[in-house]
Amino acid sequence: MTTRDLVLIALFTAIIVVLGLIPPVTLGFIPVPITAQSMGVMLAGCIIGAKRGALAYVLLVLLVAIGLPVLAGGRGGLAIIQGPTGGFVIGWIVATYVTGLIAERLVKEGQSEVRQFAGFFIASIVGGIGVLYAIGMPWVTAVTGTPLSAVATGSLAFIPGDLVKAVIATLAARAVLAGYPLLHARA
Amino acid sequence: MLNGLNIEGTTLLHRMSVRAKLAILLVCGLALYAVSSLYILIPAFVIAAAIYFTTGLAFREAISRLKPILFTIMILLIATAYLTSIHEAAESFFRLMAIVLFAGAVTATTATGAFIDEITLLLQPLDRLGLVRAADVGLAFGLVLRFVPDIFNHYQSIKEAHRARGLKVRPLTILAPLIILTLKDADTIAMAIDARGFRRPREKPH
Amino acid sequence: MDIRFSSVSVSFGGRTVLQPLTLSLTERRIGVIGLNGSGKTTFARLINGLVKPATGTVTVNGLDTVQDASAALAEAGFIFQNPQHQIIMPIVHEDIAFGLKNRGLKADEIERRTATVLERFGITHLARRRVHELSGGETQLAAIASVLVTGPGILILDEPTNQLDLKNRRLVENTIAGLSEHTIVISHDLPLIEHFDRVLLFHEGKLIADGPAAESIRTYHAVAGC
Repeated sequence: MTTRDLVLIALFTAIIVVLGLIPPVTLGFIPVPITAQSMGVMLAGCIIGAKRGALAYVLLVLLVAIGLPVLAGGRGGLAIIQGPTGGFVIGWIVATYVTGLIAERLVKEGQSEVRQFAGFFIASIVGGIGVLYAIGMPWVTAVTGTPLSAVATGSLAFIPGDLVKAVIATLAARAVLAGYPLLHARA
Repeated sequence: MLNGLNIEGTTLLHRMSVRAKLAILLVCGLALYAVSSLYILIPAFVIAAAIYFTTGLAFREAISRLKPILFTIMILLIATAYLTSIHEAAESFFRLMAIVLFAGAVTATTATGAFIDEITLLLQPLDRLGLVRAADVGLAFGLVLRFVPDIFNHYQSIKEAHRARGLKVRPLTILAPLIILTLKDADTIAMAIDARGFRRPREKPH
Repeated sequence: MDIRFSSVSVSFGGRTVLQPLTLSLTERRIGVIGLNGSGKTTFARLINGLVKPATGTVTVNGLDTVQDASAALAEAGFIFQNPQHQIIMPIVHEDIAFGLKNRGLKADEIERRTATVLERFGITHLARRRVHELSGGETQLAAIASVLVTGPGILILDEPTNQLDLKNRRLVENTIAGLSEHTIVISHDLPLIEHFDRVLLFHEGKLIADGPAAESIRTYHAVAGC
């Protein structure tokens, strides 16, 4: 790993921490307020790619584990990882990797804008929503004994918000790609 | 801005090595999942609570740290009680709370620096295999803590610039400039790290 | 100090940014001036291997900056234009100690050397401060301390007084004047370098004046047309 990659990873982790300090936004038609930090998985995958994005999340999870209040609302500590939603925390790493992998494959510099938007959106939906819930929900069931079907039904409340996040992450990722491309590792 | 969640103290847990605490947390956590008897789970919960509340953490702070996680647990367990059985929900409650309380106690009694040293040590075998550089972990942690306040300042100034131009502050219009402003420093920071000769041994030219 | 350039040229993406250059530097205080984009930063970065020559070789105290990169790096410390970028640990003390820790020094030795360098630059009171809370001048001093703690005999400073207010500028100026290390200063701040032993003037990638400060500065005014 080059020093530049190491720095990009650490800076992205720091950005995710800062996103947790930004006040959440409530949108009228969505039951759960949107925290900027929860877009981190999609942003990291789409902006710095699979490997560096996933490592940025490894670093974030380690920061949580060592007891720094880096998550939105000043949360942190081992209890978060050991608790019922720990699967989502661990899932961030895999979800970012998958998001990045898809984005790297689908999005190329010099493509039409529409194709880039589509690529980032698909990557965000599959990685940032699909993969994340696929890991997070069974974990909840395993830890609490709540039937998976009930967990899945409950999770539906978050889906509209997640779709809005995917749209925002797509637009932001495309703006960064245009202004300062980093998705594809430099030779 | 980013102070650790630990508090100074001299309790047994404070004096114990990080590795021992993590090992106990891991082993107890796994062991409790093998148990379904309330005669074991309730005492485990009581012991964990006793440990958590005697770490020296102020009572109000101790409670406020538990609140968000307790909230999630309660919602999930009410659903469980309704859909399966009250007994099963009770088991899960005491088991989860025992683990969460003990994890909270480890967090409260371990300085972040001690954790970082331990992680660096645990990575040594992988370092020798050439898979990771253990020293990079300390560097990465340092970089995050160093640059969070700067990035927060970037955020504040982008927000002000929005206001000055009469724009609404929206995640959409904030995110891209914030990310570009932050990441464009990466090259200079990386060059400075190399100029100062950190990451010395296996450096590949790029 | 003995820095030698033999027929060194640099090009980025086919564009020549430094014309072939041969010279040797031995003076205590050397200034480097020139318009923006004249090649002066490239020149400075060649000295510690941050920029690799396209042709020719650069040696620092006999060490080739390409072949013996890390040894040459240890001879010459570099202070970047924005010292914010080079302080990479959150607390001043941690940042200074980090370079030593990386060299595998023992804890008490690290502590001793860190304390010495803090005292040398009169910033002992800043040891436990957060880096992002420092003033411009304090940041500059902390950066200089963290580079010199590892003991390079040469210090290269890129625009060290850029963006500093009058008070901080004096502070940094006096600090540079008091350094026992050999210093190479790239600057637009002409009063800063007017008493230096030797001043190099770059213009469009070429060294066009090399000599006493007064002469080089006069030529600089002529090429800048003011």
